[in-house]
Amino acid sequence: MTAVIETAGLGKRYRKLWALADCTLSIPAGHVVGLVGPNGAGKTTLLNLATGMLAPTTGTIEVLGGRPTADPAQLARVGYLSQDAPLYTGLSVADHLKLGGHLNPGWNAELARDRVGRLDLDLRRKAGTLSGGQRAQLALTLAIAKRPELLILDEPVASLDPLARREFLQDLMEIVGEDQVSVVMSSHLISDLERVCDYVIVLVDSRVRVAGPVDELLATHHLLSGPRRDPASLPDGMEVISASQTDVQTTVLVRTRGPVLDPAWTVSELGLEDLVLAYMRQTGATRNRHLEVQK
Amino acid sequence: MIWLTWRQFRAQAITGVAAVALFAILLVLTESHMTSLYDSSGIVGCHGGACAGAANLFLLKLSSGRGVSFLPAGANVYVILYFLSVLVILIAPAVIGSFWGAPLIARELETGTCRLAWNQSVTRTRWLTVKLALTGLAAMVVAEALNLVQAWWAAPIGKAVGLGGSASIMSEGRFGQFVFPTHGITPLGYAAFGFALGVIAGLLIRRAIPAMAVTLAIFAVVQFVTPLWIRPNLVPSSQTIATIDAAGANVTEASITSGGRSTFALSAAAVPGHPGAWITSSDAVNVAGHAVSGTPAACVSAIPGDIGPGGSAALNNCLASHGIKVALSYHPVTQYWPLQFAETGLFLVLALALACYCLWRLNRRRAI
Repeated sequence: MTAVIETAGLGKRYRKLWALADCTLSIPAGHVVGLVGPNGAGKTTLLNLATGMLAPTTGTIEVLGGRPTADPAQLARVGYLSQDAPLYTGLSVADHLKLGGHLNPGWNAELARDRVGRLDLDLRRKAGTLSGGQRAQLALTLAIAKRPELLILDEPVASLDPLARREFLQDLMEIVGEDQVSVVMSSHLISDLERVCDYVIVLVDSRVRVAGPVDELLATHHLLSGPRRDPASLPDGMEVISASQTDVQTTVLVRTRGPVLDPAWTVSELGLEDLVLAYMRQTGATRNRHLEVQK
Repeated sequence: MIWLTWRQFRAQAITGVAAVALFAILLVLTESHMTSLYDSSGIVGCHGGACAGAANLFLLKLSSGRGVSFLPAGANVYVILYFLSVLVILIAPAVIGSFWGAPLIARELETGTCRLAWNQSVTRTRWLTVKLALTGLAAMVVAEALNLVQAWWAAPIGKAVGLGGSASIMSEGRFGQFVFPTHGITPLGYAAFGFALGVIAGLLIRRAIPAMAVTLAIFAVVQFVTPLWIRPNLVPSSQTIATIDAAGANVTEASITSGGRSTFALSAAAVPGHPGAWITSSDAVNVAGHAVSGTPAACVSAIPGDIGPGGSAALNNCLASHGIKVALSYHPVTQYWPLQFAETGLFLVLALALACYCLWRLNRRRAI
């Protein structure tokens, strides 16, 4: 599988503070990848490095096999939409489409016009008078009409109301279906990611906690509950992600390839959100314990 | 990229053109009266010494009448217009630098639109190069247009001053502190420099309004420093020694210390044989040609209580009779264009250097 974004020892420091440190990851092509993690995990920094808005302090990053923003051809291969969907407030919708046409050799004017028409955007309206949802939609139109191979979205729906959010994501799904474009998007809203992403990367403290196709992750993680017992007594091949115990009951989230055979456990399925949260909450203590389990 | 540059620059360009048009209209409306005064003053076809008289007459008439019917009597419209027009050309590069240059990158950084601009299929280098080239060119065109219109309007004044008309406050020569940087080709250099200064201030400060203020402040310092320390040394100056009388020199200050010793300094007004030359320094020297500052003892009694701008004839004569002459450093009028080219070239090179630094920094030190 080829990678759309590949980093090795990537780090970015602001004065004394590391926004991203020693990050090594590989994001596969052909997916809608959701990048999730708590605030300060380095998601935005990673995407800024991928789009060449920032230069790395240490390490390397390759996007579609090339250095970000190395030349016009490399720029043409990546579409980028940042959180606040910046547009020129004094320029009209039509001006923005012209801008895209003039600055991108691969510009698909028909696609852009169709989308703007479908969104009911008045071509003469200044971008500054558009609603948040309309701005995001126009910015997305600019990002996809240049026909990129990779679309990078940084919190694209964070500032939108639930309705606009749903419409935006629906649109995104249609685009991905039609264009075979790879997408990497970061979001706080795991429920939104669940709707569109088929691959998830959980980033905590610049480290990849877990990464994989959504259906595979869901199939291999189980929530077990049963009478109180030591989680360390679980059979080999079961990795404990999180565990909680009361006086009488033990609940563990495990990752395993095989089926859960012990009849003492009640196995329940879990959603992507629970799974991601479990990895995000995973403290040093839990991780140490699962190291012990593996011994 | 050219389209985007023009689209973003359009409003500013219209403002610039409107300003030049307003400036031109004001001068065109008042030009005919000045020309008729010039024609009727007897300068045309004058001979020898009569010319200076006719030139002075013209300048006096120009600066005493109201000239234009809609102005109240006593308003010296030509004096006001003359200084206003020179002032406009003088500050135009600073205004261009802060209103066109400073927001060029700073506004994109402030509003985040740099994320949009720099993620199209155009490298930052190309983005900035096109913007710098087109807007910088427009800045130079505006500055030079102002200068040419003013030069056309003020041509009769210039001719009268050239013929020896010295009776007016408009009688500053071509090397004057306000005339030199606002005429010829120097406005081109200043406009390019002011613009580049604004751009780099915007890039480094990252906010448009503070960058505008910094641009204005730095440009003001440059305009103050240039005539004092830079312009005199751009082209090697000529030296000569002249008598106090021939150099039209006056003692400008003289002091007597408690011990009865006295020092003096003098300032020359002309270089013999080089009318209109720009005197950059004039120092007193003795017979041997060495600099002197001590007043000869015999002349101390000639020091008046108060030395006015006209100096003291008795003191001047006393110093001259003790063999004191004036050593002059000057630029003859033939060095006007070499100086113009040197100063313009200097600021064009500075502008280019700033532009290159902007390009380098935008690529190397990425931070949004």
